[in-house]
Amino acid sequence: MKNRFLLTTCLVMSSLLAFTTAQAKELKLAYDADPVTLDIHEQLSGGVLQLAHMSFDPLIRWTKELAFEPRLATSYERLNPTTVRFKLRKGVKFHSGNTMTATDFKWTFNRLKESPDFKGIFANFTELNIIDDHTIDLVTSGPYPLVLHTATYIFPLDSEFYSGTDANGNDKGAIVKNGASFASTNLSGTGPFKVTSREQGVKVVFDRFEDYWDKSSPGNVSRIVFTPIKDEQTRVAALLSGGVDFIAPVSPNDFGQIRSSSNAELITMPGTRIITFQLNQERRSEFRDQRVRMAMVHAVNNEAIVQKIMKGFATTAAQFSPEGYLGYNPALKPRYDLKLAKQLMKDAGYEDGFSITMMAPNNRYVNDDKIAQAVAAMLSKINIKVDLQTMPKAQYWPAFDDRAADVMMIGWHSDTEDSANFYEFLAMTPDQSTGMGVYNSGNYSSDYVDTMTVKANAETDSKKRAKMLQDIEAKIFQDAGFIPLHWQNLAWAARKGVNVEPIVNALNFPYLGDLVID
Amino acid sequence: MNTMASPWQRLRESDLVHYYKRDKVAIAASTIFLILALMALFSPVIAPFDPYDLTQIDLMDSEMPPAWQEGADQRFLLGTDDQGRDLWSTILYGMRVSLLIGICAVLLQAAIGIVIGLVSGYVGGRVDNILMRIADVQLSFSTLMVAIIVLAIVKNAFGGETYSNYAMLILILVIGIAEWPQIARTVRSSVLAEKEKEYVDAAVVMGFGTIRIMFKHILPNCLSPIFVIATVQIANAIITEAALSFLGLGMPVTEPSLGSLISIGKEYLYSGSWWITLIPGLFLVVIVIAINLMGDFLRDVFNPRLYKD
Repeated sequence: MKNRFLLTTCLVMSSLLAFTTAQAKELKLAYDADPVTLDIHEQLSGGVLQLAHMSFDPLIRWTKELAFEPRLATSYERLNPTTVRFKLRKGVKFHSGNTMTATDFKWTFNRLKESPDFKGIFANFTELNIIDDHTIDLVTSGPYPLVLHTATYIFPLDSEFYSGTDANGNDKGAIVKNGASFASTNLSGTGPFKVTSREQGVKVVFDRFEDYWDKSSPGNVSRIVFTPIKDEQTRVAALLSGGVDFIAPVSPNDFGQIRSSSNAELITMPGTRIITFQLNQERRSEFRDQRVRMAMVHAVNNEAIVQKIMKGFATTAAQFSPEGYLGYNPALKPRYDLKLAKQLMKDAGYEDGFSITMMAPNNRYVNDDKIAQAVAAMLSKINIKVDLQTMPKAQYWPAFDDRAADVMMIGWHSDTEDSANFYEFLAMTPDQSTGMGVYNSGNYSSDYVDTMTVKANAETDSKKRAKMLQDIEAKIFQDAGFIPLHWQNLAWAARKGVNVEPIVNALNFPYLGDLVID
Repeated sequence: MNTMASPWQRLRESDLVHYYKRDKVAIAASTIFLILALMALFSPVIAPFDPYDLTQIDLMDSEMPPAWQEGADQRFLLGTDDQGRDLWSTILYGMRVSLLIGICAVLLQAAIGIVIGLVSGYVGGRVDNILMRIADVQLSFSTLMVAIIVLAIVKNAFGGETYSNYAMLILILVIGIAEWPQIARTVRSSVLAEKEKEYVDAAVVMGFGTIRIMFKHILPNCLSPIFVIATVQIANAIITEAALSFLGLGMPVTEPSLGSLISIGKEYLYSGSWWITLIPGLFLVVIVIAINLMGDFLRDVFNPRLYKD
């Protein structure tokens, strides 16, 4: 009797619980990894920018059709070739309760200029001038064609919240890479979701910000529970069993399974993220020989990787710029040729090969660890013995910053949807002070690329600019500056009733604030 | 009959052989084990490919189904894994790794366990107390947990390159050291029973040294339980190695063992490539069951209370 009573109470309680969660529109989100930090200026990466779009708002943002959409700016106009004026939205609150003004933009801009990862993007910007509380001017050093592109990266931080010192006497606004700082564990933005709790690598809970400025947003998600699930198969199983509502990325292996399921749907989109390997010329003298790099490029059968590992869900690449970008050079074709690769190794005097170390993440890009294994096997055919280590991205990026292996994998999505961004970060000679080449772990260096990229960034005639960018692409191709693999396509999957289709885009920043759950 | 029979004749007339001939399960288990062990031993000769040689694998051959399935390539009897390795060759090599790790780890366990068990049982008193409490502490941690922690630390401390060069040695050491109390306790209990017997007293009276009495007189009389437990421990060690490789802490990715193959295939299980997980899994199960059945048989023979006929 007593047992039955207990059972009934349990049933009633659980149904009540189910009822309340159904009302609250909770989104259970599972990506392959959670953001490594809450400081959106600490790392320039897809994961951190996705966080930025959840908890912050940019001045303007890209729409699905790749046009600009005003967010915290209500309007913008070009005053003269070097100045663009932005009118700011009024009455916008930060999570802390502070009101957003032009001062916050000024503070954020200065912080961006100091951030090792972001200063490269803002290299052409000299200052941000406050005209009044709700008007700012962005000034560039010369005519710059990508002002609006770059404005999508200005997410104002709550200057009052991040000012002062924390309990340990450290500056709250300090940017500490891969370390503990106030900003990496606390957050106050203007975005639709505030971070309620966070346990790195386990769970992040976001609650909808009750004073969010965008009342016209259709979004009805009041809580997001973000659980990182590294294993691809587990992530899909979690979606299909109803454990989570929205997953990304989806491995091409699992497409069939999701398509055949009646309660989940798959959304795919051609992507522009290039996956590459960089050959560290500082660590290995062999890589300074152009013939060796060329041999390695020729030894890697990236067509096979696309066909077999990516199951055709990617485009084989021979350069940085995907088709449609100004810098895309149609003359550059993938060049797998094992015979030529062996000949090149012989010419360079390394017929017997050598041993190298290689590192790749295992939860950052689609099939990253399998791609790395395949490349290791391909390089062994020209007698380059590879010691491969793969690791989760939380450990990978610090290792990448330390340049911990001879060959390292990096994928790059152009931050400005423009070719020059690839060169600035991946191909220009690394320079701490300007922030150029911060992700060029190969230390590939070419005067031509350095000077031409700077020139192209000052060229406003898009025809001339396209020619310059394509020439740079050809130069890097000839130098075999890196090993290009493919541009990976994008895939998300969601439970039926979670309408993710309208909020995802080719940039892979899902605008979860606008998500509608039926 | 000649009273001084040759060792071979003595073996043939022993209880062990007598019961073995009548136990069909034991015959079947040992035959299967022998076949698998021989296949593993001669894998470089039998296997059509060397799966650890990266130059022999081609990505274009990846995920080929077994030969009897549609779309198969006749070069690959049991199909290929996600990187284009021949599954049959990889299983043979993987079994060799598994057996080698299993047997060596148990030899190490036995070496440590026998010495500690003998000393503990024969010397007794405070020494016994200290040694057995250490064993208790060790037993209270599960082997897998100890192995995971040690391997993770080793991997981070020495870096991936050193680790993959010595992966097999490290696995043997970790599994061997983590499991010694099993054997030590068995040996100790036998020693406690043996040391009360007259032949030990006789040896003491004759003035033999302690070490000699322990190893030459007591140890041979404690061997049968050691054989039983060692057999079961080999199966355990193989499973532990497979579990560690499954978790990515065992053999390096370029030298997959049975456990790593199962782990690789898990991602393809639902997309149709069932053979990458299922076939190595089957081999693992068969080999472990065969060893366990042999252990069962030995226990039945050596245990006087379980005489069957």
